[in-house]
Amino acid sequence: MTVPVTRKDLMIVNMGPHHPSMHGVLRLILTLDGEDVIDCEPILGYLHRGMEKIAENRTILQYLPYVTRWDYLATMFTEAITVNAPEKLENVQVPQRASYIRVIMLELSRIASHLLWLGPFMADIGAQTPFFYIFRERELIYNLFEAATGMRMMHNYFRIGGVAADLPYGWIEKCFDFCDYFLTGVVEYQKLITRNPIFLERVEGVGIIGGEEAVNWGLSGPMLRASGIQWDLRKVDNYECYNEFDWEIQWQKEGDSLARYLVRIGEMKESIKMIQQALEGIPGGPYENLEVRRFDRAKNSEWNDFAYRFISKKPSPNFELSKQELYARVEAPKGELGIYLIGDNSVFPWRWKIRPPGFINLQILPELVKRMKLADIMTILGSIDIIMGEVDR
Amino acid sequence: MDNQFIFQYSWDILPKKWVHKMKRSEHGNRFYTNTDNLFPLLCFLKWHTYTRVQVLIDICGVDYPSRKRRFEVVYNLLSTRYNARIRVQTSADEVTRISSVVSLFPSAGWWEREVWDMFGLSFINHPDLRRILTDYGFEGHPLRKDFPLSGYVEVRYDDPEKRVVSEPIEMTQEFRYFDFASPWEQRSDG
Repeated sequence: MTVPVTRKDLMIVNMGPHHPSMHGVLRLILTLDGEDVIDCEPILGYLHRGMEKIAENRTILQYLPYVTRWDYLATMFTEAITVNAPEKLENVQVPQRASYIRVIMLELSRIASHLLWLGPFMADIGAQTPFFYIFRERELIYNLFEAATGMRMMHNYFRIGGVAADLPYGWIEKCFDFCDYFLTGVVEYQKLITRNPIFLERVEGVGIIGGEEAVNWGLSGPMLRASGIQWDLRKVDNYECYNEFDWEIQWQKEGDSLARYLVRIGEMKESIKMIQQALEGIPGGPYENLEVRRFDRAKNSEWNDFAYRFISKKPSPNFELSKQELYARVEAPKGELGIYLIGDNSVFPWRWKIRPPGFINLQILPELVKRMKLADIMTILGSIDIIMGEVDR
Repeated sequence: MDNQFIFQYSWDILPKKWVHKMKRSEHGNRFYTNTDNLFPLLCFLKWHTYTRVQVLIDICGVDYPSRKRRFEVVYNLLSTRYNARIRVQTSADEVTRISSVVSLFPSAGWWEREVWDMFGLSFINHPDLRRILTDYGFEGHPLRKDFPLSGYVEVRYDDPEKRVVSEPIEMTQEFRYFDFASPWEQRSDG
């Protein structure tokens, strides 16, 4: 199907790095013919901070505050992958309680990230109200995080071998209250958005990606699951303690922006289910494997028991990475976030390669916007769900 | 376990000049190849029925300045059908040109641009090899080990010229290097 060219000369428009949508500093050079988009070229690099080079000069503990700045909306995932990679490298055991706390924090972070995807997505389409509603729920999550970790957004909470501090007294009850409240909140979003004819008109059939094409382009996360491929690293890889909970992969078949929206809403509800199960089943025990902070690193040492936990302050960590390579991954809300780590028998890694989901998912944008109208670009860009912090690193 | 199956199968069936070393470890199985045979190897891995690694997860460049072929390019691959991951590694030096795998895996387009930008390795047959992450007039390849962490130039806005200018870097304090080797802790190996 050829698009009739109405004018001989095509217009080249620059959607510059500053623009009112909240996608960050992404520059799109669009070639337009009237309202139809002929081509689109994304230009990245406006937020490149040299995270990989910095990682080669910092120990893991020193590097933890940097990693929350990659994906600044789903911060627990970046921290989780940063500690998971050395843990897998050195076969560090994580206590059961720490694993449950991590899963609760990760799922809360997933809900927070999907909420802050939903707001700007609706705002770009034209609906301003959900943008304010999501911040209501996100503030509640921030309060929970602040009580447990001390910071609202850039937590620096995860440590190699567990988490930095235990949950405060009464946190679990507050989290239960949040889960009950949030389920009513999601119902409110669905009543407002999902069957809204204006929303469906904007979103249905826009930016369709087939299943084979999605696998070919290396997509991951909700973009892949919305195209019919049931691939979720939490089920496939069985990391942390996800296999102890009862939950399902959310997926859709059509592959358009509406399918991606439905997958993310479904994931929010599944996350609440997981959090409730984790809160009910959380075991006691130590929250951090403190033995890894020392050079000898004995397994199952008696120094990790309850009797010794309050004797003195924690020793300063000198975690050495041995000379191996490893690719560790988590299922971040945007897709598959991975670290390819090459250790070097020293405290600094030799190579710390970040595999951001947004970088790969953004590559398909020029393919999707061909022959679409100008207004559909924002819909498609919003449904891809990118964060420039991790795309550029 | 399927992960081991496709690795062992490909090692048995591939011609030895394609894969000149293989390594298995609990952290991931990898093939070492050289740059001429890289494209056929990835083509085989992608299309063969029993391997079907259709997803290119990551292309990573690593710099080992002590080696003769100082760069190493690592391709992380995933097979969603068999739930298996494989890593393919090649070595190159500064002037070797590696054939691009964009025709096999479209997502390699930006990864190879990033390897070019950060390390200086160029790829043959790449549709669009130019810088992707660094600034517009940037010189140098940042992730090489001989490029300093702070870089060579800093930018500031120059009021007489009314634009941003790049100037050689001016450091007000010396570079601090913390590696936390505690003087009290005795290491087990002395």
